[in-house]
Amino acid sequence: MPAALDEIIADLSESDRQERIDLLIDFAKNLPPLPEHLAKLKDASHRVEECQSPVYLFVEMVRDRVALYADAPIEAPTVRGFVSLLIEGLSGATVEEVLKVPGDLIERCALQEVLGMLRVRGLSGVLRRIKGEVARAAMARAENLSLPEQKRF
Amino acid sequence: MGKPYAHPEVLVSADWVQDHLKDPKVRIVESDEDLLLYDVGHVPDAVRIDWQGDLQDQIIRDYINSEKFSELCSRNGIAGDTTVVFYGDKSNWWACYAFWAFTLFGHKHCKVMNGGRKLWIDQGRPLSTEPSRYPATKYVAADGDEASIRAFREEVLAHAKAGKPLIDVRSPKEFTGELLHMEEYPQEGSLRGGHIPGARNVPWARAVNEDGTFKSTEELIALYQDELGLKPTDDIVAYCRIGERSSLTWFVLTYLLGFSHVRNYDGSWTEWGNLVRVPIARGA
Repeated sequence: MPAALDEIIADLSESDRQERIDLLIDFAKNLPPLPEHLAKLKDASHRVEECQSPVYLFVEMVRDRVALYADAPIEAPTVRGFVSLLIEGLSGATVEEVLKVPGDLIERCALQEVLGMLRVRGLSGVLRRIKGEVARAAMARAENLSLPEQKRF
Repeated sequence: MGKPYAHPEVLVSADWVQDHLKDPKVRIVESDEDLLLYDVGHVPDAVRIDWQGDLQDQIIRDYINSEKFSELCSRNGIAGDTTVVFYGDKSNWWACYAFWAFTLFGHKHCKVMNGGRKLWIDQGRPLSTEPSRYPATKYVAADGDEASIRAFREEVLAHAKAGKPLIDVRSPKEFTGELLHMEEYPQEGSLRGGHIPGARNVPWARAVNEDGTFKSTEELIALYQDELGLKPTDDIVAYCRIGERSSLTWFVLTYLLGFSHVRNYDGSWTEWGNLVRVPIARGA
């Protein structure tokens, strides 16, 4: 797993309940605003349907590394915090690293205790969506790289 | 002013709450869908009661027992004669659910702050990040009247077979079976989609305004009595997905319109849609 994500998991799992809540709120507060070129693209195709609140997700490839951006409403701090946590943990990771992020990430962060099962299940959808988007972005990039050869025929 | 609610004392305004923050006979309780909202900022001196962590049994699908409820009230400084005022996000979905749960346990003095969290914030009222602490009280849970406000699946099956009124307060797409889950909540899906045969679809949000407050008596009568033909003495069961939206509808019918015989089927679609061999209807 990317070092940044490892560190986040360590921080959270070693904290107590209130510290975890505070950390998640910090993440929520520190979610970077969407770059302008993405802010204009907040539409249905970038909306994470799995989420209870309107969460928008964007994946860009910078060479073979992943750049993640997201927006989530201020009044949904749990979702906003989790999305921000993922962005911090996964930005700059390789495609493979992202796809290998364990499905029980939330439990490894000990967030299940804080949030409760139903909330946790909803957040898992965000992680799945990120993996799906990264896989798509990686395929699109691979296709772009191979284009000159396709053009030959 | 229009016609008053049937039990107007059960709904309090933000002004009233602000005036009673330091009232020792009052306890303001925040209950939200998003657990973190309380820590982000809450009504000063309010406590948080989480529907998942505090009100639900962690092993079986049910509420906590009387003993745990007494402990919950005790550690939140709630006494038997304390007036508990609930508020929360999502137009008070979870506040109504907590109100309903407290009623299950027989707590006599419960109220809801009209407009919930959103209105409090929109009106620029003070928020605190200080966790509220109160000295423990001795709380002895009274006998609630579960049978009069809660319906279990066998009762719902009999109710449906007898053609008695059932209100499904989910979205139209969940009702018809097009969606197995609420648009934004696929994690709570069921194996089968549709609705309980005979149920009428009245999405919960038709009872509230944009600002999170409840609609007027006239508007509610127009909806539930004129449009749906329900009568205040009808034996009615309301349900949704896990019983939280339907507890808001239960609150509206019982306290705002004065209906005398409304029950919440808290198993709701997450139970019915996964039950073996119960009848299901699809489409409008």
